[in-house]
Amino acid sequence: MFHPSKHQEYSELLSSLGEFMEREIIPLSPKLDREEVSITGPRRALFKQGMTQIPFPSEYGGLGLPFSVYAMAVELLGTADASIALSVEIHNAVAEGLLKFGSENQKESHLEDVITGRKLASFALTEPASGSDAGTMATTAEKKGGEFVINGSKMFITNAGEADVYLVFARSKKGPSCFLLDAPNKGLKFGEGLDKLGMRGSKTHEVILSDCRIPEENIVGEEGKGADYAKEILHGARVVVAALNVGISQLAYSKSVAYAKQRRAFGKSISEFQLIKEKIADMKTDINAGRLFYLYASRVKEMGEDFSSEASQAKIFATEMSLKVCDEAIQIHGGYGYTADDVHRHWRDARLLTIGEGTSEVLRMLVARREMARSQ
Amino acid sequence: MKIAVCVKHAIDETELRVDSSGMPQTSGAVSRMSTFDKNAVEEGLRLKSSHPGEVVIFTVGTGDARKTLKEALAMGADRGVLISADPVKIDSLRTAEMLSAAIRKNGPFDVVLCAEGSSDTYSGQVPPMLGEILDGAYIGYAKKIEINGNLARIERSLEDSVEIVEASLPLVTSVISEINEPRYPTLIQIMQASKKPIEELGGDQLAPSGSYQQASIISMSAQSSSRKHVLMDGSPEEAASKLIESLAKEGVLTK
Repeated sequence: MFHPSKHQEYSELLSSLGEFMEREIIPLSPKLDREEVSITGPRRALFKQGMTQIPFPSEYGGLGLPFSVYAMAVELLGTADASIALSVEIHNAVAEGLLKFGSENQKESHLEDVITGRKLASFALTEPASGSDAGTMATTAEKKGGEFVINGSKMFITNAGEADVYLVFARSKKGPSCFLLDAPNKGLKFGEGLDKLGMRGSKTHEVILSDCRIPEENIVGEEGKGADYAKEILHGARVVVAALNVGISQLAYSKSVAYAKQRRAFGKSISEFQLIKEKIADMKTDINAGRLFYLYASRVKEMGEDFSSEASQAKIFATEMSLKVCDEAIQIHGGYGYTADDVHRHWRDARLLTIGEGTSEVLRMLVARREMARSQ
Repeated sequence: MKIAVCVKHAIDETELRVDSSGMPQTSGAVSRMSTFDKNAVEEGLRLKSSHPGEVVIFTVGTGDARKTLKEALAMGADRGVLISADPVKIDSLRTAEMLSAAIRKNGPFDVVLCAEGSSDTYSGQVPPMLGEILDGAYIGYAKKIEINGNLARIERSLEDSVEIVEASLPLVTSVISEINEPRYPTLIQIMQASKKPIEELGGDQLAPSGSYQQASIISMSAQSSSRKHVLMDGSPEEAASKLIESLAKEGVLTK
């Protein structure tokens, strides 16, 4: 999967992470879904292992490894627990944003803490009435003296209420801009935790910004460029979301194979029936295609080329594939798939990601626009 | 304090498949550090944290065993020694001879730690043999180790009792898995482990072979167990009554 000279090293790292997840994360996953345990402890333990450090430069506390290694680690984490994977993915999207667009001072004060996981980060872009059309955001940032005063609200925000740092997008005089907001802040409040279909282990709240004052120097990059920054941050995040969905699918698939082998009907194992074999073959083929897709998009990113279309394609394919695979997993498990939450939670978890971080519909528009431009 | 830890690069028993005749299929099986050896490494690191010094990892194996040494180095050990020999072709005594020669060459050590047995063959012979060859005290099945000055106080777990024994250093001891919870190396520790030194020594040059006949394993097969299957049919109430009746009949429950 990797370049042969590095294969051993990267495999050892991933294998060690996998062993850690097997012992520390997987046993908690059904409990996280039922909200019987908090995400905080296992996520902190994972951060300590170095999960968040993988793709970032060593000068900021990272491990300096290729993005594809990080994406594969997220696939593993998606298999272990999708909610934690989502939380990590959002956290690292903020780190990537700060690395790309943050000032030297912001990097010095925040980046290492975020990359090493000492501080938890959250990405606050979506609003009650705007999502992918970030240009229409209603949250405002008004410059007053040496501060920006932010007013508005952000919706469906992962890690909200727990994060130490928020990357907040708000409209200033020059247009949508990006700001670094440290918690706690008198003007930063949170709505009730949202009751979700899946990803129930991760915390999702409305973020309410009411006369939220932040120092002027906390603007990230250039004023008025926030929408462009958000798009660029999300390209990388979409590759990671694709990897996460491959992980969810892999787990649903493994459970299905194990169940099909042991479940008997008409005097034999259901895995011997041709229609079940077809499902198993199609699930595995789709999962591997999704895996190759996110690795391909990762490679284009690593090469420093425009990967926006490949990232979107990978996310469209992997998230829709994941829904199909998890649906088949329920079908193979029959009544137990519909009732036992250990199977249908994978479908519930996967269901978020044809919506979150760019709906499939918006991403298809993006892919078509980019590919038509390429063919000119 | 200078601590030696002996580990084995062994077939991962959790991934081992058994064929229809009950024989384990070793070809293509993945090898890694024997499960219980991680407890020995952890104990070495724990002792070092309160008695500063060096933890050196020893293993007898082929080139692939470097992976196991690297894992122990990632956990925090200082350096490794690979004694080149094919562990499949040598018996426990040869292994102990090679390990003890390498330990002497790199010593003297205050404590030599081993696991109670390896997760593949689990003969448990090497630790007491090391104690004998190195001419130190040997205490097996340690579940707690405390060292004060030159004195070790060890709780050893036996089948129906726990013994507390004391011995002067140097000491060879084997640990059981209950002694600690092995740490997981972080990703950065794994990357840094590549830079730690591993010395390679030829097993036969290090410990010339004696004239004795080596023991060999003639066969190894999975333990078979048969289970009784009884199906309780009917409504849940009927099935529950039948289950109670059946358990009582087997002597598990008394009515």
